[in-house]
Amino acid sequence: MQRTWSLSGPLDWMRYINKYVEVKAGTSEEREHCGWLLTVDPVSASLVLVNFGEVGRASVRVVMGHVVEKVEVLQEGDQEMVDRLQAILIQTQSSDLDP
Amino acid sequence: SWRSSVAPPSERPGERRGAEMKKLYGNDAAKILAMETAMQLTFDRNCDLKQPKYWPVIPLKL
Amino acid sequence: SISSSAVSDADSEELQREQHARSVLRERFLRCLLAMANKKVHFHMFEKVKVEATFGASDIDVLNFQVSDLHTPIGVQKEALIRCQDVISLTFDL
Repeated sequence: MQRTWSLSGPLDWMRYINKYVEVKAGTSEEREHCGWLLTVDPVSASLVLVNFGEVGRASVRVVMGHVVEKVEVLQEGDQEMVDRLQAILIQTQSSDLDP
Repeated sequence: SWRSSVAPPSERPGERRGAEMKKLYGNDAAKILAMETAMQLTFDRNCDLKQPKYWPVIPLKL
Repeated sequence: SISSSAVSDADSEELQREQHARSVLRERFLRCLLAMANKKVHFHMFEKVKVEATFGASDIDVLNFQVSDLHTPIGVQKEALIRCQDVISLTFDL
């Protein structure tokens, strides 16, 4: 299943959400990325990783699905982390394109 | 390709697209469709307005 | 028969769970793309190419990113399209 991250279904991807993961990319450069998994795009299989910096700041990395080779859970998220990630999502909703 | 099973079709008539979305997203299909439509509209409008050119001209990954 | 309808019930329940998961994941992803609009984004691309640009929008199939003020190694391109296939990852701050 790992060889085919992009072929996994939503229910599989869901099991990685809100967890601290390491993503291995099948490229010669930019091989590994770690972060809290916010979501996986079901269309492109791209991952959105969040790393928290100083208070109120977060760095977001989108890893394109076509380079993903392997995703490994390094740490489970506790309720506090789930809440912090939820706050990030709410932050993204201040967008002006609501349906 | 691996995208074909999950990728929403971009150039089909609305009705067929709606049915496809329903299959993929069930009860939330209308919400996702609305969000996607808004996003695609922004993309298309920006491209019309700004006439961006591909960079790099030749794809890095062939 | 009873057994086959039980199976199809289980199937439809599974399908609904999958559809719900897909829509949660997709909505979150679309929100992230929308949140990137007008933000400075760093693109890490193949061939060790790293560029910075102001994000505009993505198409819904995630094939192209429309950006402005793209800082290329040979100068600034005011308006550009980046092929998602050329991209390994991109980062921005929230």
